[in-house]
Amino acid sequence: MHCTMDDLVAVRDGEGSAQVRRHLEDCAACRAELDALYQRVAQLKALPALRPPRDRWEAVRAEVVAAQRRRRSVWGTLSLAAAAALAGLIVFGPWSGGNTLHAELSQAKQRCSKLESALQQYDADARVVSGRSAALAAQLEDQIAAVDGRLSQLSPRGGRRTPEAELVDLWTQRATLMQQLYQVRVTRVSYVGL
Amino acid sequence: MTISLTVPDVLVARARTGDLEALEALYRAFETPVYNLARRILRTPEDAEDVLQETFLEVVKSIKHYRGEGHLWGWIRRIAASKALMRIRREQVRATEEFEESATRGRPTAHVGTNIDLERALQQLHETSRAVVWLHDVEGYTHEEIAELMGKTVSFSKSQLARAHARLRRTLEPGLEGA
Repeated sequence: MHCTMDDLVAVRDGEGSAQVRRHLEDCAACRAELDALYQRVAQLKALPALRPPRDRWEAVRAEVVAAQRRRRSVWGTLSLAAAAALAGLIVFGPWSGGNTLHAELSQAKQRCSKLESALQQYDADARVVSGRSAALAAQLEDQIAAVDGRLSQLSPRGGRRTPEAELVDLWTQRATLMQQLYQVRVTRVSYVGL
Repeated sequence: MTISLTVPDVLVARARTGDLEALEALYRAFETPVYNLARRILRTPEDAEDVLQETFLEVVKSIKHYRGEGHLWGWIRRIAASKALMRIRREQVRATEEFEESATRGRPTAHVGTNIDLERALQQLHETSRAVVWLHDVEGYTHEEIAELMGKTVSFSKSQLARAHARLRRTLEPGLEGA
């Protein structure tokens, strides 16, 4: 009985049974089928590459630009939300004797505000940066967005006492990240300790 | 078709930031292999074009998570294969495999002609068989990888491969008795 195509494909892939291999040694017809299988695969691999009939880049680009705009909008909203949360906490903050924490918070906020102004004056699209600097900037923006997200979830309302230390820590993190972003964006320093 | 595309790391780093020039450079580097893969698997050029677009949107979205393990083409190819197979699954909801097989079986050999080339024979395979033979024999995927991509078993992938070759053989050499 001759080999089936399952047998031949298994032999080609190094999985054929001993019985099938023995049969192939004795059967010229099945060996010819196996050779034809090898040839067919070689022909498949040699088929020319088919090229796209139309350029789809503009459609891809349009979606990418729209997504980037949405991302910037969300980033701006989160920054505003974080600022609003801070303002609320300063006015309605649950701590009364935490002058040191309050001072640290104000200082971090002022640093963020100055750095945001400096970064807004910087036209990122008009600069040429190295790949490493650009990757670091994107990473820092993501980290700032994550901190903003956490800040926006903190609220003095709702009966839950906001942990002051956490708030100060987040704003300090934000200020540090913005300082690093400023270094990467404006002075094009590619090493910020990341 | 063998692909050995090498893309500079700096280009990938810029693409990760959303740099449009870098993203376009990646698109230009990989549009043909992605389209070719999709076109070899799918029935129509329009489907393949859609997969090309979907693949690059996914590349843009996910390139931040690409950490450089393995070849970039391997990563993009997997996205493209996944998108193409997803499209096949959607198609199968509308038309069952049994119907497709009977439709192709019904075509008289005489209409195919003796000069039929491999491309046409490939196009006459059922999409699932075609996808398996292309991914395994040309792109070099293992049966385990194909099974994972398709959500099927390794045995399914193996049987589809044998089925594809049996049909290719019958179509290309109709005068010979089946193996």
